[in-house]
Amino acid sequence: MQKVKSFLKSWEFFLILLLVAMCVVFKITDASRIAAGLQKKPIFYFANVVRSMRPYFLYSFMTLGMMLILAMGDIDISVGAIGTLSVVTLGVTYNRLAGSAEGGSPMALVAALAACLLVGALCGALNGFLVTRFKELFPMIITLATQLFFRGFSYLIIGGDTLTFKDPTFKSLSNLNQLLKFGDLQVPISIPIYLVLAVVFYFWLHRTGNGRKIFAIGTNASATYYSGVRVDKIKFWCFVIAGFMSAVTGIFFVGNSSSSVKADIMDGYHMYAIAAAVLGGFSTDGGKGSVIGATISLVIFGVVKFGLGTLFGFPDSAVNLSVGVILILSVLGPNLVEDIQNRRKVAQRRAETARLNAAKA
Amino acid sequence: MQDKKERKPIYSILIEHREIPLLAVLALLLILVSIRVPGYLAKSWLNVLKNGSINMVMCCGMLCVLLIGSIDISITAILAFAGAVAGKLMGLGVIQNTFLMFLLGIAIGAAIGAINGVLMSYGRVISLIVTLSTSYIVRAFIPMDWLLGMNKVNPTQLTQGFKDSLINHSFLGLPFLVWLAILVVVVTGVFLKYTRTGRNLYAVGSNAEAAQMRGVPINRIRVLAHTICGATAGLAGIMWLAFYAAIEKGSALGDEMFTIAACVLGGVAVTGGYGKISGVVIGALMIAFIDSAIPQMGIGNSMITEFIKGILLLVAILLNVILQRIAEKQDLARRNI
Repeated sequence: MQKVKSFLKSWEFFLILLLVAMCVVFKITDASRIAAGLQKKPIFYFANVVRSMRPYFLYSFMTLGMMLILAMGDIDISVGAIGTLSVVTLGVTYNRLAGSAEGGSPMALVAALAACLLVGALCGALNGFLVTRFKELFPMIITLATQLFFRGFSYLIIGGDTLTFKDPTFKSLSNLNQLLKFGDLQVPISIPIYLVLAVVFYFWLHRTGNGRKIFAIGTNASATYYSGVRVDKIKFWCFVIAGFMSAVTGIFFVGNSSSSVKADIMDGYHMYAIAAAVLGGFSTDGGKGSVIGATISLVIFGVVKFGLGTLFGFPDSAVNLSVGVILILSVLGPNLVEDIQNRRKVAQRRAETARLNAAKA
Repeated sequence: MQDKKERKPIYSILIEHREIPLLAVLALLLILVSIRVPGYLAKSWLNVLKNGSINMVMCCGMLCVLLIGSIDISITAILAFAGAVAGKLMGLGVIQNTFLMFLLGIAIGAAIGAINGVLMSYGRVISLIVTLSTSYIVRAFIPMDWLLGMNKVNPTQLTQGFKDSLINHSFLGLPFLVWLAILVVVVTGVFLKYTRTGRNLYAVGSNAEAAQMRGVPINRIRVLAHTICGATAGLAGIMWLAFYAAIEKGSALGDEMFTIAACVLGGVAVTGGYGKISGVVIGALMIAFIDSAIPQMGIGNSMITEFIKGILLLVAILLNVILQRIAEKQDLARRNI
């Protein structure tokens, strides 16, 4: 009973309610549009929504990395730039290794992918090193500087050019965006991969001591340090993982962008990652949030974008607007509820003391 | 021994005036560029000032926000929105007066900034999240059908007087664009240094609880700081419109990072409570200078400026910390601890 009660009060439950409410609204709109003769077939049904999730799950891996960092109470705004730099590395390395080989060479692609992931992890390591060594500075400022640095580095490597790859080996990366068939259901490949990773992250973050330490750091870093946790080491590795995850996102991104690489390919993507993680219950104060919440919030963003975009025919801008509104309300709402609760408590206390005083007199 | 005590160690001077190392770096860069491109400074100083003045105006607002320990990343969204609304109104013939345009821009910016401030102070939402959301929301309005749609504000939609107002009128050899930036800098500087409210910004930033105990209305100060920041961003939007004679939905996208970078370069502490207008001016000049000088030096490809800006910011903030640490060590050593 206690468990059910605490679940009903949890943030994840609220997110599920939000998701259900949205689905109902979209479903009704869908039905009414059919009734009005605006469209012939229903658009908003499960299989179609799942199939259309592909572009919205691109940055899900980045969100996983961002989760770790937000749980520690830090923030990393360089993840988009890290993704760009690792993708640029991927392109340049492949170009150098494959040369003019006919049809491209698979070995070169493997080496380039390895280099890409390595660069992502190294960029994360630089962030982690700076954050742990220069504690006087906010992680936000450090990652702002490294963001400019990484972005500049990718511009330094390929300038304003666009690298386009025509050979079939490199094109095989776009297989990452194909749809898997489970019976009637067509699922983008990124979703099962994300789910596997999310399960791993869930057990690590919520079920092992090592993962709980990350939340402990976010709640009170110095207390955690004095209870014998190597805070710096954990922080460092979390930043490395975040960098690695952005490189993974980058690989999916190349597959999506018709195998071309530009130096501003993933600019601004950190914002999507932060938005999804914050709606999922993580906070820049640290110590809060869960993998389940983040996963639901990714789905919510996907459904909102799909529903508003294809059902209502709103342009991208309206979709962005709704993302902004959801984000603000998701943080503002709990704060307001807390305020009201506090005020009620104070009023109760006051009434009680007044009664007691009256009884004394 | 006696002698030593009276002399201030060089580190502490450097710490007290964080803009000195910055000036040194700026001078070094200038010398390097002048060797490489003879007569650079004589040719392009006016261009540097012109291109830097819009960022300079936004830096003044950003300084106020950073002083209270907050941050605003919606400024470029406000810039684009204010510029788009004002440009659209001028295109429709509603506003023909140049002065009114500037007032309108400031009003729009201040209103959005005030919303940011209220959400951040009374709503207790972290400023990064608030301004991230408002930048999404505000920028989303620009491509709506009732505003610009998929188009942009074209030079033909603007009156000649408005287009001339900042560039073609000059006073003492400087165009009005630069004078406007100087005006904003001076007003912000005086406000922060000599008025009670301005000092309260520092108080809120260095210790909000202590400030509240002293009777400073911290929430109102926070709203004020964000309002100022929004107003400067709105003003910057109109300046952008007058300078480039065009604005679209993607104008200045992502440039807020350079505004923050200029402030950080100028020694403003992001934790709040520390920062001077002089440092910010030098920081903004430095960014503008790099933008103009590096492409002329002919090293690497045209995009190398991005790289140099990144390295410079990284080195500057790390150097600041290292200097501070050395100074603390020296202090301890002098007291024989």
